[in-house]
Amino acid sequence: MEQALQVIFSATFIAAVLRVTTPILLPALGGLIAELGGVANIALEGIMLTAACAGVLISIATQSEWLGLLAGVAMGVLMALVLAFFHLNLKADIILAAIAINILASGGTIFVVFLLTGDKGSTSALVSKQMPFVEIPIIKDIPLIGPIVSGQNLLTYVAFIAVALVSVFLYRTRAGIHLRAVGENLEAARSVGINVRAQQYLALALSGLLAALGGVYLSMGYVKFFARDMTAGRGFIALAAIFLGGKTPLGTMIAALVFGAAEALSVQLGNLRVPNQLVQMIPYVATLVALVVYALVQRQRAIARQRKFRQTQAV
Amino acid sequence: MQATLPTTPSFDRAAERARVQQERRRSAMIDVFVTLGTIALALLIGFLVMLIVGKDPILAYASLLSGPLSRSIRTGRWIEDATTLIILGLSVSIPFRARQFSLGAQGQMFMAAMVAAVVAIYLPMPPVVAVLLPLVAAMIVGFLVGLLPGLMKAYLNANEIVSTLMLNAVIVLLYDFLLTNVFTPPGSQSLRSELIQPNSMLLRFTPLVGVNLGRANLAVLFAAILVFAVWVLLNRTPFGYEIRTIGANEKFARYGGINTRRTIAWSFAIGGAIAAVAGVHLVLGVHQRLIPGIAAGLGFEGIVVALLARNNPLLIPVTGLFYSYLRVGGDIMEQEAAVGAEIVQVIQAVIILLLTAQVLVDYVKARNQRVREA
Repeated sequence: MEQALQVIFSATFIAAVLRVTTPILLPALGGLIAELGGVANIALEGIMLTAACAGVLISIATQSEWLGLLAGVAMGVLMALVLAFFHLNLKADIILAAIAINILASGGTIFVVFLLTGDKGSTSALVSKQMPFVEIPIIKDIPLIGPIVSGQNLLTYVAFIAVALVSVFLYRTRAGIHLRAVGENLEAARSVGINVRAQQYLALALSGLLAALGGVYLSMGYVKFFARDMTAGRGFIALAAIFLGGKTPLGTMIAALVFGAAEALSVQLGNLRVPNQLVQMIPYVATLVALVVYALVQRQRAIARQRKFRQTQAV
Repeated sequence: MQATLPTTPSFDRAAERARVQQERRRSAMIDVFVTLGTIALALLIGFLVMLIVGKDPILAYASLLSGPLSRSIRTGRWIEDATTLIILGLSVSIPFRARQFSLGAQGQMFMAAMVAAVVAIYLPMPPVVAVLLPLVAAMIVGFLVGLLPGLMKAYLNANEIVSTLMLNAVIVLLYDFLLTNVFTPPGSQSLRSELIQPNSMLLRFTPLVGVNLGRANLAVLFAAILVFAVWVLLNRTPFGYEIRTIGANEKFARYGGINTRRTIAWSFAIGGAIAAVAGVHLVLGVHQRLIPGIAAGLGFEGIVVALLARNNPLLIPVTGLFYSYLRVGGDIMEQEAAVGAEIVQVIQAVIILLLTAQVLVDYVKARNQRVREA
C-alpha cells in the first residue's frame, strides 16, 4: 500500500498521467463539439486511427514531422467530412455511418500498411518522425513541478490549451453559440435563420481536427510508429469522458484525466502484482455510474423547471 | 354509432388492400435490388482499389469468391462463422427494430461464454442436460447484461451507445482477469481453461457426414430455431408490434398507449439473451474451452448482418451466410493472392455507408415511381 501511494504521488507518475491523457483529451474535446452541435460523432476512433496512420506514413516518406502532422490532420478532417456528407447530405443514420467509418479505418489502415511495408503489425521497422518534446526554460528547473510541466510532447500542451480554446469557442463566439443552439433545438435554430447544415458541418470538421491531433500524438509522440488498431478504444473512452464530464470542456478534461490516471495506475500497479485488469476497469465502471448520476441530475432539473413553469402559469 | 362514420362512395376495401400489398411488395423488391446493387458496387470499388495498388484483382477475387468452397474444411469454417454471425445479427435486430443502438453484443457474448463454460466444466451432468443447462444459464445472464443498459436508456435516458460500450470493456477485462487467475489450471503452459465435459460438447458435423468440416457443429440448429422465433416475436406478437411501432415513431407509440419504457428495456434484454447463444456456440461448439479473446472482433459484425437484412429476421440467414463467406474468403485471398484480408472490411464499410444513405434509396424509389407513372 505504502509502495502504491509512493508511486501515485511521484512527479514521474503525474507526468505519465498527462502523457496518457493526451490521446483521450483531444478526441474528447472534438467529440464534445460534435455532441453539442447535435451530431454525436462515434467515429472518433476511426478518425484517430486514420490520422495516426497517415501521419506516420507521410513522415516516413518526407522525413518531416510537420508534413506528417499536416497529412494526419488533413486525413482526419477528410474522414469527418465524409461522415458529415453521408449524414447531412445523403441522410444516412449518423451512428451507422460512423460505425462504417470505424470499420473502414481499421481495415483500410492495415491494408495500406501491409501494402507499403509487407508487415501487418506495424511500421516500426521504418524510421518515422516524432513531434518535438518541449523543454520550458526556468519552469523545468523548479523541483516537483518542473518534471511534470516541462518536457512533454508538443501535442500534450496543445491538448490542454485546446480545453481553453474550445471553451472560448463554444461559449464566447458567435459560431459556437449558434452551434450549441443547433444542438439544443434544430428547428428553433433554423427558424431564427441559423444555417443548420453549415453549423453541423463545422461541428463535425472540428471534431475531426481534434481527434486527428489525438491520433497523430499516438503514433508520432507517445510512440514512434503506427501499429494496427493502436487507438485501442481510446475514441470510445473519449466519448465516455464527454458524458462523465457533464458535456462541458472543463468537465471533459477532468474526466479525461481520471481515465488517464487509471490507465497510468494500471501500468504501475501491474508492477506491484495487483491484477491490472481490475484497475483498468475503474474508469469504465465510473462512467457507467456517472451516466446514471448525470441522467438523474438532468431529470431533477427538468422537474424543477416544470414546477417553476407551473408556478409562473398559476400567477 | 356506426351511422356517424363517414363513408366514401368510391372506397373499395378489397381493391385498396390489394393496392397497399402491391405497393409493399414493390418496396421490398426495390430494397432487395438496392442491397444487391450496393454489394455489387462495393465489390467493384474493392476491385478498383486492388487494380490501383497494383495487385492482380482477378486472381484475388477468384480466391475470395471461390475460396470457402474450395476445400471442405474451409466450408466448415464458413458454416461455423455464419452460425455465429446469424445469431449475432438476430440479436442486434431486435433493439435496432426499436431504433435502439445497443452495441452490447460483444460483452454479452463474453459473459455468456464464461457462464456456459463454468457450468459445462464444473457441474457434472447427463447428456442433453449438459447442453441445455449451460445454454439456459448463459441466456439468463445475457438477458440481465442486456437489461442493464436497457433500463438505463428507458428510464434514465442514458446514452445507450456509451453505456453498452463501457459495459463491454468491463466484461472483457473481467473475462481476461478470471481466465488468467481462476479458469486457467495451475501449472498450465498456455492461457486457457480446461476442456468442457464431453457431454456438453455440441456434436460436430465431421463424424456425422464423414467429410472434414472442421469445427462446424449442431449449433446451426440453434440459429435456425432463432430465425423462426425472432420472426414470430417481431411479426406475430403484441411485443413485436410494440417494438416496430416504437421504431417507426416513439412519440406516436407512447400516445397510442404503449408502455415504451418497458418495451425498450425488454428489447435490449432479449437481444442480450440471443447474443448469449452466440457465446454458447463459441464455447460448447467451436473451442470447447475458454481461450483468450474468444469473441474478439465480433462486436460490430452482427450489426452489418442485421443492417444488410434491414433487420428482417428471415433475411438475416442470407446476409449472415453472405457476409461470413466474404470473411472466410478474405482470409483465403490473403494466403493465395497476398492481398490483405482487410480489403473485405473496406468493402464492408462501403456497403454500410451506401445502404444507410437514405437519399440514394429514396432516389431509386422516386425514379421507379416516375417511370411507372410515365
